[in-house]
Amino acid sequence: MARRELQEINAGSMADIAFLLLIFFLVTTTMEVDAGIGRTLPLKRDLPPIDVKIRERDLLEIWANNNDELLVEGKMIEVEELEEIVIDFYTANIKGETNPDMPAYSKITIPKCQQEIAKLTAKVEENPDDLLLKNELDKWETKLKLCEELPTKQYDEIYKMSLIRLENQSKTSYGLYIQIQDVLKKVVNDLRAEKCEEIWGKNYYSLREDDPDDQEIIKKLRILVPERIVEAKIKI
Amino acid sequence: MSKFKKGGKKSIPGVNTSALPDIIFMLLFFFMVATTMKEVELQVEIVKPSATQAEEIKDKDNVDFVYIGYPVNKNMGTEPRIQLDDQLISDHTVISEWKQIKAREGKTPFDIVTSLKVHEDVGMRIVSDVKEELREVDAININYSADKRVVNK
Repeated sequence: MARRELQEINAGSMADIAFLLLIFFLVTTTMEVDAGIGRTLPLKRDLPPIDVKIRERDLLEIWANNNDELLVEGKMIEVEELEEIVIDFYTANIKGETNPDMPAYSKITIPKCQQEIAKLTAKVEENPDDLLLKNELDKWETKLKLCEELPTKQYDEIYKMSLIRLENQSKTSYGLYIQIQDVLKKVVNDLRAEKCEEIWGKNYYSLREDDPDDQEIIKKLRILVPERIVEAKIKI
Repeated sequence: MSKFKKGGKKSIPGVNTSALPDIIFMLLFFFMVATTMKEVELQVEIVKPSATQAEEIKDKDNVDFVYIGYPVNKNMGTEPRIQLDDQLISDHTVISEWKQIKAREGKTPFDIVTSLKVHEDVGMRIVSDVKEELREVDAININYSADKRVVNK
């Protein structure tokens, strides 16, 4: 019987296979990234004056104790229920006063903005070094821009002293704390996303902080849905 | 009259190795991409919490890490400890000093994020102490490190 000489294996496509594998791994590998919830702590010096009275209705108290139990407005709840409560805190009165136990909303109009800006400009001229005043002025200027941009020329703003107060104890676990922070962030992000879609027709999560136009939108969204969280000192 | 040679030498051809460099390069690329540089040798055990709203820290050069967890070395006790760079510290008041040493030229304390990598079972007391200490030096821009969790709606 005739025998054929063994031929060399064609290895020309080996490189292709190698590249295919390379690309496969490139796509499927997830790198560990440093992710987390960003927060800005209050500056040491601008402690609010002590005798500011905050009405019960403008305050949402979240209290987590040593046994990782959660108390919100005096009621013990599960973490899963928190989101709904926080949403309610933000939106209960957004369409007119319906719930007197939740923060009120007030109309911000162009004349009001101009009035405040005039007042603040005068104050800034008196104390040019006061960063807080400048900040406040900047805020009102953004509000004015926002009003002018909206078709209704006005918007509803949550009461400016409405606060979410977070209190922990020494042995409250960090895990629970992060869960609470996560819920607070989620509610604010969701509300901002909703507003962003409604007013600018853009996806909130695709806004880029290095783009000046988007930056302006983010600034306005921060006015529309403010995030005011105070953390109480741990007592025990 | 056969076309085919009979009784010729039946040598087995060597395995073609011309693709070997490709394979090696592939591995090299793979490891180059998949490897994250470990900044420090962790001396504390940290199980990070997870959060749905966790966002990636974008400016990776301007981040300082504070690790809080249970010491790996059991001789160091079982209480949660703070690790800065390569050292476990015993007194949290050195954090403000450490933050000042780590200051970058041309950057304000606010520009530099302090990422807190904390074990999820650690009590809030130690975390709160660290935050107070950071506020002392205006390092108020912090990030609670957490793994990103996706929830199905």
